[in-house]
Amino acid sequence: MKRTIAALTLLLAVFAAAGSAAFRKEDVKVQTLDNGLKILLLEDHAIPNIALYTYFRVGSRNERPGLTGVSHFIEHMMFNGSKKFGPGEFDRRMEFSGGANNAFTDDDMTGYTDWFPGAALEDMIAMEADRIQGLVFEPQVFESERGVIASERRAGVDNNNDSILSENVRATAIMAHPYHWDVIGWMSDILSWRRDEVMAYYRTYYSPNNAVLILVGDFESAKALELLKAYFGPIPKGTPPPAVSTVEPPQIGTKRIVLRKAAQAPSFQVVWHGPNALSPDFFPLSILEKALLSGESSRLYKRLVREEQLAINVYGGIGETIDPQLFQIAVKPRPGADLDRIEKVIEEELAKVKTSGLTEIEFQKAVNMTRSDFYFGLQTINGKAGALGQAEILYGGFEKAFDRIKSYEAVKLEQIPEAVKKYFTENSKTIGWLIPEGGSK
Amino acid sequence: MNARAKAALLITGLLLAPLFASAAFKLPTPEKFVLKNGLTVYFLKSTETPIISFRLMLRGAGSAQEPTDLEGIANMTSSLLMQGTASRSADTIADAVDFMGARLGFGCSEEMVSLSADSLTEHFAKLLEIGADALMNPSFTEDEFNKERKTRLDSLQSIKDNPGAAARYYFNKAYYGAHPLGHQAMGTETSLAKMTAADLKAYYKRYYGPAKAMAAIVGDIDMVKAKDLLSNTIGRWTGAVNVPAVSLPPLPKPKGMKLILIDKPDATQAYWVLGAPGYALNDPIHPQAAVMNTLFGGRFTSWLMTELRIKRGLTYNANSGFTTYSSGGLMTASSYTKNDKIGEMLQIVFDLLKKAGTEGFSAEEAESARNYVQGQFPPTLESNSAKAGAYTRLAFFGLGFDYYDKYLAGVKAATQADLKAAAAKLLPQGDFVLVVVGKAAEIKDQLAKFGTWTERKITDPGF
Repeated sequence: MKRTIAALTLLLAVFAAAGSAAFRKEDVKVQTLDNGLKILLLEDHAIPNIALYTYFRVGSRNERPGLTGVSHFIEHMMFNGSKKFGPGEFDRRMEFSGGANNAFTDDDMTGYTDWFPGAALEDMIAMEADRIQGLVFEPQVFESERGVIASERRAGVDNNNDSILSENVRATAIMAHPYHWDVIGWMSDILSWRRDEVMAYYRTYYSPNNAVLILVGDFESAKALELLKAYFGPIPKGTPPPAVSTVEPPQIGTKRIVLRKAAQAPSFQVVWHGPNALSPDFFPLSILEKALLSGESSRLYKRLVREEQLAINVYGGIGETIDPQLFQIAVKPRPGADLDRIEKVIEEELAKVKTSGLTEIEFQKAVNMTRSDFYFGLQTINGKAGALGQAEILYGGFEKAFDRIKSYEAVKLEQIPEAVKKYFTENSKTIGWLIPEGGSK
Repeated sequence: MNARAKAALLITGLLLAPLFASAAFKLPTPEKFVLKNGLTVYFLKSTETPIISFRLMLRGAGSAQEPTDLEGIANMTSSLLMQGTASRSADTIADAVDFMGARLGFGCSEEMVSLSADSLTEHFAKLLEIGADALMNPSFTEDEFNKERKTRLDSLQSIKDNPGAAARYYFNKAYYGAHPLGHQAMGTETSLAKMTAADLKAYYKRYYGPAKAMAAIVGDIDMVKAKDLLSNTIGRWTGAVNVPAVSLPPLPKPKGMKLILIDKPDATQAYWVLGAPGYALNDPIHPQAAVMNTLFGGRFTSWLMTELRIKRGLTYNANSGFTTYSSGGLMTASSYTKNDKIGEMLQIVFDLLKKAGTEGFSAEEAESARNYVQGQFPPTLESNSAKAGAYTRLAFFGLGFDYYDKYLAGVKAATQADLKAAAAKLLPQGDFVLVVVGKAAEIKDQLAKFGTWTERKITDPGF
């Protein structure tokens, strides 16, 4: 459903080298307006539709206690009325023109994704330009939308044991940095956000110089650019938002939490502190993720699900974010499974990588998965727009997307055990269990 | 809400000129060839991305054909195809497919089983070889069968930790009862206990063969090469010859309200699913129903979303939709809200169902929904896999490759009167099944006014 959140961005598209027919760096037209708005245009006439994606550099990373979840709340309010277009009018006009949209908030960014027939381009541009600065936060609508978010939290976290555990593990592992809380925010904050504070937050982060706009699809670039300039050009540049200065202090010992609640099956997670998306260590750990956790061929799936039959499923991996993120291993244990044993198997598998590394085949599998994920995504105008937007926010420029695969290929096999030794330490680890009430484990 | 929508649309009249004159979109007509074993393959070359997609659909191997005491066997059979063949172990298959970063799998629905294979161009020959091997030579070993059965039994238990998912399971049982469309894909504790690997082998032998299959290949490959690859793999498939004819018994027609409450004492939100008869997949009402449902519960500004989410903040999501089968179908609506609001929410839903059937929709709404369904259509056929899926589906049900052209024309022609008629016919007024999963102690009193509820505990065995 629209206006959803991606709690921990574990799986992002990664990018392949140029050279395919799909699309090349050179096909993307780039223009930065005087007010700082960066625009990327990619024509694609396969279907008579356009994807208009606007990404803002704001997410739960920019929040503070009392205002947790506010980035996501503003994402919702972006559809709820400006001076020019009343509450709900964005959706009504867009749908009348044959368009649909979604939006998402994660730790680092907020994205607005519109898909519509080519003929609706000017109207969509007009409405997107308007809501960068024109929101009114009408009090009655504000309260109603607060209820929507509370329901979203109840559905996504409070009535989902794996999510409850995940939120607890994250908040235990990350002590100081704003990644401490989940994108949805704490329920007490959701129920008490103040209008003036929310508006101040909106004014701080919603400006053309804090955004990138991507247009992919059935349009003529010169004409589209003219429209974009006409509607976005007059918006004044904003004061650059404050930098996030909190640095997570090193963890100095294993942390362990045990939750008890009504449940049919337990939940299990373990995390370690990892690097950020731009660290050279990101790549060996991303390759490790695929060897340990991707598909039924992965080491942990084979051990935990197939051989020892301790789990129904196992998933996770390295978070790809601006600041250092957690490497997560989440297990869905079978009812009654021995959680100590699950933990031991994971430790054994990591120890094996520390001593013997990965095989050449596992390495190639990771590279192949990365390449094929990239191309699968590029089959649609939405996939292309998303890939460009993510690269702008996370890697500092869409061009870098095209070099990403080379960074994978450049990893040397011996770097992987080194990275595991560096990051998967006892002191960096946080373990969480959720145990069905009344059960011993 | 209609007044508000109308006002907004009048103000913005100048921007609402007809949009679709230039936006014609057609599913490209595929080429076709027939393999020696009689399997028809539809082909389209598409070189934009170095990706090839293959789809095969197999009629009659789905869950509606399975014997009631072996509920779940259809899904289990299709899953185990990937877990070992005469010459490849389950691990060998998983290792090879993951190594390529490819996607290979079998899907099982009520009336069909499908094989999907998608990969980079350079890996496709290998992927097809493995996919064909899985389809043609499965081994159904005791060891893999037992592993899969255990995983299913364990999963069935943990579904009850997720009230939204559990509500669907309870609804299906309550609505369909013993009807084959109510078969649980995962099986039940009883059926799984009874099932053996030999049963799977027999089921496979009876239903899997090229006679009732259709295939399509779309992507970065020449037809000669595609034909060659398929001839040497799936073209050699023989399998079942006299596959039993597919038929469904008449679908249930609920009379009055069947109300079920499932008590989940730790739930902080109550989840509900409501259902009533829909329509068959070849029913000419389809375009009108699609436009009508768009307005009722099929998009962000739908009636359900407007009244439950946008105006009142009761929920994050509310929707309605139709599921179609070869004969008959199902209409469902669902949402959730916090415990103390469930009574209010359900009353609004009942009122909206009534209003749609008696008053219908405004002219502006009808126009908006027609535009929406047309405008959102092209992306549904954009990728290679989407096109391959469409070709097999259309061929499989004999709908013809101009099906979507006719569908879009029907959408464009749907009048206000058509939508009212579709709502009156398809949105239930008093004959439906409604399941609520929630904390009985906090919601029971609110529900009492709607009628008599059958109450069960979530910890009771089964659904």
